[in-house]
Amino acid sequence: MKLHFSHPLLVVEAMTRKPDLIVEIHSHSFDPWVQLSDWSSNAAASASFIGRVRPAAENGSSLEALELTHYSGLCEGLIRQDAERLLMAQGAKRALVMHRVGRLLPTEVIVLVAVEADRRGPAQRCCMSLLEAIKHQAPFWKKEWRNGQGSWVSGNTPL
Amino acid sequence: MTKSSDRTLQVLLFASLRDQAGWDEQCIFIPDKDVVTAEDIWHQLKLGPRPLSVQIAINQQLVSPLTPVQIGDEVAFLPPFTGG
Repeated sequence: MKLHFSHPLLVVEAMTRKPDLIVEIHSHSFDPWVQLSDWSSNAAASASFIGRVRPAAENGSSLEALELTHYSGLCEGLIRQDAERLLMAQGAKRALVMHRVGRLLPTEVIVLVAVEADRRGPAQRCCMSLLEAIKHQAPFWKKEWRNGQGSWVSGNTPL
Repeated sequence: MTKSSDRTLQVLLFASLRDQAGWDEQCIFIPDKDVVTAEDIWHQLKLGPRPLSVQIAINQQLVSPLTPVQIGDEVAFLPPFTGG
């Protein structure tokens, strides 16, 4: 598609404007604060969530590691669909989603969700709704490892 | 005319279903009848009744169990999601 701009400054803005939606699945650890810093703009309001691996398994025993798998392609597609719908519905402007797969140790970051908007309400509501959508509607699966044995997590933790 | 050896699709299993079946990806023959649904493919896998919580995707789109499958489709069976 060819874009037409009436003023040279608009050309510069269009070329330098950050994308409205980034969805990434990572097989290696990332630093959420570095990612947030790189992604953030000067928006009036921003909200973010960082999720880490708990040290305890579902049954309360000590957790060795958490293994995360996903359905590549469908997973990214569903997150994008949810994010685009929620940005529109909540009146927010930009979203960043980064999610880990692979073997994670306790305290490692699993998920980073960030949203920018003009006001705190849309930013916070959209961030929370997007996180819940990822937890319930994106094809990720967790396996807990304890004492060398793995077992699939049966459901999401309560809100 | 389609040869019977060409009437195949790819089935993907994830998470607990992989452990139950002992495989993650298989080429499956489509039964020779007019309309074959995703549910028909599940029954062909001999994994018992499909739990209602197991969702189905065809070619990376979530679909209902009664959606017809086509030759060459990628059919995935998905246990409840636990991400985030």
